[in-house]
Amino acid sequence: MEAPAAGSTRSLNLPDFCAARAVLAVVLIVTLTAVVLAVARGGTGLNFWLDLGRTSLFLLWAGLGSAAALCVLRVRLARLPLATASAVALGSVLAVIALVSLGVLWLGSSAILGPRASNLLLPVAPQRFFAESLGIGAIVAALALRYFYVSGEWRRNVELQARSRVRALQARIRPHFLFNSMNTIAALTRSDPAQAEEAVQDLADLFRANLSEQRSSITLKEELEVARIYQRIEQLRLGARLRVVWDVTELPMRAQVPGLMMQPLLENAIYHGIEPLPDGGVVTVAGTLDDGVIGLTVRNPLPASGHAAPTGNRMALENIRERMELIYPGRSSVEAGRVGDEYVVRLRFPCVIDATRVSGL
Amino acid sequence: MTLRVLVVDDEAPARERLRRLLGELDGGNEVIAEAATGDAAVRLAGELHPDVVLLDVRMPGMNGLEAARHLALLEPPPAVVFTTAYDAYAVEAFEAQAIGYLLKPVRAEKLAAALARAARVAGAKLARLAAQDPEHAPRTHVAARLGDKVRLIALTEVFYFTADQKYTTVRHAGGTDLIEDPLRALEQEFGAQFIRVHRNALVNVARLAAIERDATGQYHVRLRDIDERLAVSRRLAGELRERFGL
Repeated sequence: MEAPAAGSTRSLNLPDFCAARAVLAVVLIVTLTAVVLAVARGGTGLNFWLDLGRTSLFLLWAGLGSAAALCVLRVRLARLPLATASAVALGSVLAVIALVSLGVLWLGSSAILGPRASNLLLPVAPQRFFAESLGIGAIVAALALRYFYVSGEWRRNVELQARSRVRALQARIRPHFLFNSMNTIAALTRSDPAQAEEAVQDLADLFRANLSEQRSSITLKEELEVARIYQRIEQLRLGARLRVVWDVTELPMRAQVPGLMMQPLLENAIYHGIEPLPDGGVVTVAGTLDDGVIGLTVRNPLPASGHAAPTGNRMALENIRERMELIYPGRSSVEAGRVGDEYVVRLRFPCVIDATRVSGL
Repeated sequence: MTLRVLVVDDEAPARERLRRLLGELDGGNEVIAEAATGDAAVRLAGELHPDVVLLDVRMPGMNGLEAARHLALLEPPPAVVFTTAYDAYAVEAFEAQAIGYLLKPVRAEKLAAALARAARVAGAKLARLAAQDPEHAPRTHVAARLGDKVRLIALTEVFYFTADQKYTTVRHAGGTDLIEDPLRALEQEFGAQFIRVHRNALVNVARLAAIERDATGQYHVRLRDIDERLAVSRRLAGELRERFGL
């Protein structure tokens, strides 16, 4: 069996501090901090502007220096565990602030600027200045890093959702199935109009379920119904070659589940497991409820010459895996692989029952 | 002209619909038989000699493309029109090679036009077509021409192929037959299941039992289930031993 999708371990994903966008954000944060500090010191008139100017000058050096340090460290930080990476990032920012402060103090002790400029620009109490810089720097840097981290996570989540939507589109019903069904219906319209009518209705329901904006969750009963409709259509085409055994009585039908998992799995099982067999075979759909965890298993025979894990199959599995990870982060698993002479896909996810929602079917 | 048609599709409703459409066309075409698999189609075609075979591309076991290659050996070979519900690749290839095909659900007028144009498809063309297929799978059978029939030999039944100057001999569970495929082509197509043990012999890997050396220093392979030995060239003996631990 393939390893279950590991819950992605959290890492510190910071923006690229070498890119203009992040540098601009740093400049903005630094400038606003300088304004806050200058206002808090309560200078008036020319003194206020002088205070703001020299604070900004100092903070810009500190801020841009930190951005440069984080830019260099970024790739390495992303590989560390979240807590360690945060500590390293904060530590490197503080180191930059300490260096800039020392530079300022060195400027003060040397005579490069001349006495007038020194008095105007440089701090009078070196130790206090150093301690204050580090203290304020630590707080602002921590807040800023937190902000970058959270907005990065948010963006990542949006991307993940967008990607899973694209995958969902790609994993939709195979054109092969659509045209074969149309062909079956064309045959039935003459030989068995009642059955043709039924097939058209089933096909309509199936496409409605597939085309609807993926409702993040529907009841298990609705979910299984969509899969059964799919089976009915395939049954017309494949006849006795297709046998599906449903062993789902144990399942809580009111449970909320992500929509459209079972139908793609059943479609894969039929496409890869039954259609290549001249005499067909049995697909088994089994459900268990164990300790608040729903387990769904789809098994199909493996044709002798079967190419292992065809691409269409992986696409559907990846899509299901991503959607489950979005809905139940770290609490779901999708396993797939051959067991004996069968191919088995097993889903596990927490059983959630929404008492306020009454099943629509 | 009345055409005698063989309808081949693994889905019963699809066969039923083609049969009905053929019956409704002018000219009184006759469906002489139906088949649900590629190998049944080849067998029936050998017995009944249809004018045209309507052949589904995607079928379990032997698919339509392979069946057509075996049909091309018949004397006289039938005309072949492929049918497919959706195979983007196949349609492109048929267009490129000017091979007749129909998209399902088939329209009556397209069926009539395809029958009017239907022509036999040369085996070489089909072999090229198969070789270009991105999901290209080797054939499941080889075919021997027997009078006006074709004998299908499942690859799993084959012990070995040997080549003389002109023909390739296939030794299989049911005896020995002559086929027209050159050894080199067989080796290319079935390289995963067969191995060359000598300049003129290709052996089914699954049938290899042991490798032996006789008093003169000549190597031989012994095969499972038949009491026959094949000479192994000195160059390949070491490789065989290593690969199969014989």
